[in-house]
Amino acid sequence: MNIFFLIILIFFSGAILSFIINKIAPKFSGITTFITIAVVVFLFFTQIEINSITQFSLGGIQMQFGVNNYTYIFAILVLGLSLLASLYSIKYMQNNDRLGYFYSNFILTVTGMLGIIFSRDFISFFIFWEIMTWSSYLIVLYNGKHSSKSGMKYMIFSAIGAYAMLTAIVSIKGSYGTFIISDAIQQGAFNFSENIYIPIMLLIGFAVKAALMPLHVWAPNAYSKSPMSFTSIFSGAMSKMGILGMGLVLASVYSQTTNDNTFSVLVLKQVLGWLGGITAVMATIYALIQTDAKKLLAYSSVAQLGYIIVGLSTGTKLGVMAALFLAVIHAVFKGALFMVAGAVEKQVGTTDMTKISGLIRKMPFTFFTALVSIIALAGIPPLGGFVGKWMLYEALITESNNYFLVIVIFFSSTAAFLYSYRFLFGLFLGQEEKETEHVKEAPVTMIIPMVILALILIVTGAYPGILFEPIAHGMHYLGFSDVNWDMSVLVNVWGEESNMAYINLSIGVVFVVVFLFLTIKGYKGTKNVGTKDISTSGEIPTENENLTFQLDFFKPFERAAAPLYKRSMDKIWNDLGNALEAIFDFTRRIYTGNGQTYALFVIIFLVILLIFKNTLFTN
Amino acid sequence: MINDKDSQKIVDFIQNFARKQSLFVMAYGTGCGAIEIPATMTSRYDAERFGIRGAATPRQADVLLITGYLATKTLKRVIRVYEQMQEPKYVIGFGSCTINGGMYFDSYNTINALEQYIPVDVYINGCMPRPESVISGFVKLQELIQQGKADNGKKYRENLEWYRANQKKIIKNWKMPDYNW
Amino acid sequence: MEDLGLKIFGAILTTILGFVVGMTYGGIVRKLTARVQNRYGPPFYQNFLDLLKLQFKKTNIAHGFMGHMAPVWIIIAAVTVLMFIPILNGHLWFPNLSFHGDLIFLLYMMVFGSLGMALGAGQTGNPNSAIGVTRGLSQMVGYEIPFVLSLVALMIQYKTTSVQDLTQIQHETGVWLAVANPFAFLAALMASLGMFRYSPFDIVGAPAELASGPVSEFGGKYLGTMMSGGAIFSFIKLTLYVHLFLGGAGNPEKTGIIAILIGLGILLIKTFILYMVPVFYGWINPRYRTEQAIRYFWGWPTALGIIGVLWAVY
Repeated sequence: MNIFFLIILIFFSGAILSFIINKIAPKFSGITTFITIAVVVFLFFTQIEINSITQFSLGGIQMQFGVNNYTYIFAILVLGLSLLASLYSIKYMQNNDRLGYFYSNFILTVTGMLGIIFSRDFISFFIFWEIMTWSSYLIVLYNGKHSSKSGMKYMIFSAIGAYAMLTAIVSIKGSYGTFIISDAIQQGAFNFSENIYIPIMLLIGFAVKAALMPLHVWAPNAYSKSPMSFTSIFSGAMSKMGILGMGLVLASVYSQTTNDNTFSVLVLKQVLGWLGGITAVMATIYALIQTDAKKLLAYSSVAQLGYIIVGLSTGTKLGVMAALFLAVIHAVFKGALFMVAGAVEKQVGTTDMTKISGLIRKMPFTFFTALVSIIALAGIPPLGGFVGKWMLYEALITESNNYFLVIVIFFSSTAAFLYSYRFLFGLFLGQEEKETEHVKEAPVTMIIPMVILALILIVTGAYPGILFEPIAHGMHYLGFSDVNWDMSVLVNVWGEESNMAYINLSIGVVFVVVFLFLTIKGYKGTKNVGTKDISTSGEIPTENENLTFQLDFFKPFERAAAPLYKRSMDKIWNDLGNALEAIFDFTRRIYTGNGQTYALFVIIFLVILLIFKNTLFTN
Repeated sequence: MINDKDSQKIVDFIQNFARKQSLFVMAYGTGCGAIEIPATMTSRYDAERFGIRGAATPRQADVLLITGYLATKTLKRVIRVYEQMQEPKYVIGFGSCTINGGMYFDSYNTINALEQYIPVDVYINGCMPRPESVISGFVKLQELIQQGKADNGKKYRENLEWYRANQKKIIKNWKMPDYNW
Repeated sequence: MEDLGLKIFGAILTTILGFVVGMTYGGIVRKLTARVQNRYGPPFYQNFLDLLKLQFKKTNIAHGFMGHMAPVWIIIAAVTVLMFIPILNGHLWFPNLSFHGDLIFLLYMMVFGSLGMALGAGQTGNPNSAIGVTRGLSQMVGYEIPFVLSLVALMIQYKTTSVQDLTQIQHETGVWLAVANPFAFLAALMASLGMFRYSPFDIVGAPAELASGPVSEFGGKYLGTMMSGGAIFSFIKLTLYVHLFLGGAGNPEKTGIIAILIGLGILLIKTFILYMVPVFYGWINPRYRTEQAIRYFWGWPTALGIIGVLWAVY
């Protein structure tokens, strides 16, 4: 049997199996999911050859399955993260109801993502895209009534995206007579000079999943309302499907559009770049006023996707490389962070930062993961996040001449330090209050995936070349020739470099020296005390005294940036929704249920006919 | 390398010199004497030329300056602040009230002798002591430090039970953390 | 191997130089401030004495692992940045690693210390520390914007992102970048007011209000190590500014000992003059609230920075 069909079959049977097993023994539902994904991961990395194509026809339509170098990047990302998330999920979802529902949808989502990666034609691409959307929609609804509104928002925007995509696909068939993606690209389907709306429609479809402003409003709610073990792949991997599509379309647009039509491409670059930049800024400043850790991470996801889209929009070698690198790294650290939030939720019962604090001593491994991931998120050397940020800035400054976009991005990433600190402080630092005394470290099966992700971040900081290699191959597939990369040296087009080996060396040496100095010096005279032993003007805080500072955390910043907070895309969409509802409500009133009104309508219609009869029935 | 007696002497000298030339003062200004502190620190008398500088929290402070009378209620806070300071630490009693109660010697709600409750290195007499005498008190403390005679923290640790007994006599509802250095 | 030994020697020498210069400058500023306030003031080596005393403290308090690590982060950031900026243009004694990192890296590395410090301050559990940290971070978002604008202006004007190259350009053309792009220089200068945290931007560690803010729970060896890190950092910022805007120091053509000493002398003079800008500004100003400080940086400095970028483009 063909390996692609086998994988899809395993997935579907796994989904059904986990649903059935839940009826018999709910405990094993999660383990089934994990085993299913593990088997697929094993098959994928041992059996599949890159660039192999399987052809078949369904109802007379040519279809193709295969993996190329570009989609291979995303395959690694999706499979790796799903494997870890499903392992994490076993303990996280324990004791919950409707596990069969959750796990079968979990597997279906992964199936959808892997199917998208396999698809080489638009029909299967669209089918798998819808499988992914619907199953993830069902999981957003998993947490019950209060999440149905966020689910609705997610569904509406996904539908908008899907319709846009479907229109484009049908137009491609109409104009070029093919559903095969590579054939369509070769015939110039994404060529701006031939037709401008096919790529635009496709981009809209992908932008919904990539949470690009103004189509991002579903994301914060949907990310924070679904179970955390799913959100880590929802935000980490699924949003990257949008990036996958956008990368493919944009690269083709940039490489195929001929010189006489560069203006429209320029406009596209600027519009996408600025949309990405504004997404990053707005999501960041909203992230830093959140009091719920999950919500904070959800907004931060949107912001990070903004960077990635900025990188893609440049269309330069370094820019696209930065975008792809950031896409992988974002999947890793955001997957880890959502797992951290889930671990805290599991152990404490809430992620509201105004209610909990000081978990560092109780959950040290979770804190380690959170610390490493946050450092990567903030883009501070020497972790993987810095590599991506560095390439993004260098691309914007040296290659794309988009100088003010640099400032916008930089503003966003400096403000990101604020919410990074807020997340760490809110959950792990600060006063150790009585309410969280009973808290214990999360179970081992939840710790292992988190720590693995943290270690990946450390390793990719030291040797980003591990990721550069598949990315360079993928970019070659996209049409960028001679992509240079080095194991640990980052170089821009002007020849300046940042050498991660030296950076790590310097940091490591100083760390060891100073750490030993501080620890050994006066070791006997150094005492570790609790957080109640603080200098509070001689007052002794009692057991129940609340010394936690969590409310209005960044009030000064909020005051300074008050004008930025006035506009909210969410509000605009809500207003639009309300306005539409009002119009529909007005239209509905035509049907009064009164016979005389309907008679009046008939008479009015006849009168109109009589008046316009000359113009209507001339021939 | 510090086994050698001469080198130990040199190390001690450097340590004591640094300690005496850099005194971070936690001014516990509840009594009326606090009004003399600004005068001591500012242009006219300028205590900073002796390396004397204010500290905002007991963690950073070397000298606890008790300016004047201590009400029984504030005693608890003073003890807490004193215990939070890091060794080597010094205490200066400022004004007559800290020596024998001064004009509040028969008051029902002030303590009379500070050294019943925490060890004191230097007393500055007067009601009020003028900035000159404050500075002379600090210079006296510096001399003691240079000679290695100011071992306030050690004294407190060794006689902790005696001090605790005295403190508990004044503070009825005793709810202090243990001092276990 | 000899080469490696020389490099390690150079790195240690650089660190000591940065430390000594930073500490001495701090002491001189204390003395000068005292003279301005009509006081006699402490001796210029007072900061060294303070540091020694803090390191000689017999007992120390740490509030858990991150509290213990806070000074380590600061020193890591300070020394690493010091390794990656050129000290002298005539890179004979102090080449360190300045070819292996560029401005973007330096920008990010410089916030490493503040974030580590913030984490340490957070773990102490003192609400004052956390309030100070939020103020500090918010203020950082303020001054980073004009600073980055001016750096972007320089980078696109001369098509390089390396500090070394920018210094070399100034050496070759003989025109300081402060003259070549005055708007960028002004923006960076105004941003530096916030970086040094003198008045009016010193609300972060307000002693009377916040009990010295982030550092309120640190004493003894921890505070001492932080002080050394801060001293190195002030040297770093000054040196970076001198190399970016004020023509740098040192002459690559002459590599004798005397030339290097002259180069160091020029570096010290330039850095000292530059250091006096925030200090002078601080003497005559009261204190801004945080949001006022942020608004200040987003006002004229940012406008100047934007003009600087436009100047560089056209």
